[in-house]
Amino acid sequence: MIPEEPAGIAERVARLATFLIANDLESVRIEREHETFEVGRTAAEHAVTIPAAAPASSTPSRIERIAADRVGIFHLGRPAPHEGEVLDGDRELGYVEQLGIRNPVRSRGAGRIVAILQQDGDVVDYGRPLFELDRG
Amino acid sequence: MFSKVLIANRGEIALRINRACHDLGVRTVAIYSQADRDSLHVRQADEAYCVGPGPVPRSYLDIANIVSTALAAGCEAIHPGYGFLAENARFAEICADHGLVFIGPKPSVIAAMGDKATAKRVMKEAGIATTPGSGILDTPREARDAAKRIGYPVLLKATAGGGGKGMRVVQRPEDLERAYAAATAEAEASFKDGRIYMEKLILHPRHIEVQVLGDEFGTIVHLGERDCSLQKPSHQKLIEEAPAPNLALKQRNALHEMAVRACRHVGYTNAGTLEFLVSGDHVYFMEMNTRIQVEHTVTEMIYGIDLVREQIRIAAGERLGYAQADLRARGSAIECRINAEDPRNGFAPEAGTLSRVAFPGGPGIRVDTHAYGGALVPPYYDSLLAKVVAYGETREAAIARMERALRETVVEGVHTTIEACLDVLGTSQFREGRYDIGSLPALFAAAARG
Repeated sequence: MIPEEPAGIAERVARLATFLIANDLESVRIEREHETFEVGRTAAEHAVTIPAAAPASSTPSRIERIAADRVGIFHLGRPAPHEGEVLDGDRELGYVEQLGIRNPVRSRGAGRIVAILQQDGDVVDYGRPLFELDRG
Repeated sequence: MFSKVLIANRGEIALRINRACHDLGVRTVAIYSQADRDSLHVRQADEAYCVGPGPVPRSYLDIANIVSTALAAGCEAIHPGYGFLAENARFAEICADHGLVFIGPKPSVIAAMGDKATAKRVMKEAGIATTPGSGILDTPREARDAAKRIGYPVLLKATAGGGGKGMRVVQRPEDLERAYAAATAEAEASFKDGRIYMEKLILHPRHIEVQVLGDEFGTIVHLGERDCSLQKPSHQKLIEEAPAPNLALKQRNALHEMAVRACRHVGYTNAGTLEFLVSGDHVYFMEMNTRIQVEHTVTEMIYGIDLVREQIRIAAGERLGYAQADLRARGSAIECRINAEDPRNGFAPEAGTLSRVAFPGGPGIRVDTHAYGGALVPPYYDSLLAKVVAYGETREAAIARMERALRETVVEGVHTTIEACLDVLGTSQFREGRYDIGSLPALFAAAARG
């Protein structure tokens, strides 16, 4: 079941993106009288973006998913990032430990952390979503 | 026995290994590429991990991701299946370095036998006849000298090769230089190893291979031979059978004895296959495959032994528990490979979606497959969809069952080799067991003539 939409557009987008990922869907589309909302995966391997389908008055928002590019044990960075945290540039959010080597997971730019999808110590495989960032 | 094994493969062989593990009470971990996320082997394993995108070098050949998966999932061993990393000595070493058991022979044995030129030298030491040939040929001049000594026609072969890549037939001295350049370039492109060697071209040989098993306690047995002569122009096999038809008892026994002697010489453990060329009264060692073979099924059918189970038991340090005298073959078995290929277009592989799939059943029929209705056949991998295997108390009974089984088989959505296999089975040459490695085009022609 699709979660109820909260008032803020960024949160609405984030929750739809989480729903999309959790249910392994390609896209979610909601049509209403005055607006159409669609959240979908792009061709880019690790990204989830939202096409600009909201009403003209709304603020554009873009959710990007950062996924593991190798198999290993996921660890959060120190200090540990937290949901809602605003990043003002590229930052190491965590790392995937593979055969004793730390492979950094970076934010690759500014944004707000919408969701941390794995816990410290989880086994992650290739393409496993780790973070969702709102690139604004 | 292990409690958890990672299966470093895909397709039908991944399912085959999964079944053997479950039969032994061993939990399984599958790996898969993004292109294989809906594959049966992913669904049937106890756990599954994605190791990369579709292309093979970034998924099924990604050693770091595979070994990391095994460690993260708590596996004790890795079964490599066939192809991919199955004969990669470095992979076997890395497994050992990380405390994982590689289900196969020791890395040093893989290295020695996987390099074809080295394997032939080792076999000569063991007193096994090999095709007259050369060592590694570093220059065209060395190739010319070797050909003069061996005598034309000759065959240039890649030392790291397989599947016909880096192979050239040279009939005349004036063609040698160009063939040398082409074979070297193709070997380099295919295996990142351009080294080639030369063999005397044996005319009209049969490809007969012997299955062996060896445990860690020095017991080595053979499980008879298979005739794998029916090969496409690409040197890939289409139909295999066990036992080999029309093979004199003396020659059959000699092949078996040579295979066991060779394995003793190199201290071979686990399952392996020695391939021979048989031409008239002459038998020549060709190469050894240090892994399970696609066509292992026909041996299993006539010996009643699960070879993959034995591989796992041996790797876990168990004794074979039987000697040569305890083994007896019974009846005859044939395997037809159902590939996503277009026989009318040079057996070109095809990708697509399988719109409808139905496989045969009944007494004496076995089907090893990963195909199902709606399954995607990705463009990245081998075109094998299914192995249909028929057993009979006699060869004639096995052929009749196979024909019945293939007529029951439905695979729609891509072209397949079903009709091509039926064509071959219907020829008098096949029924009489009169074929060699060059026979397939003639058999198709005979079938077309009706």
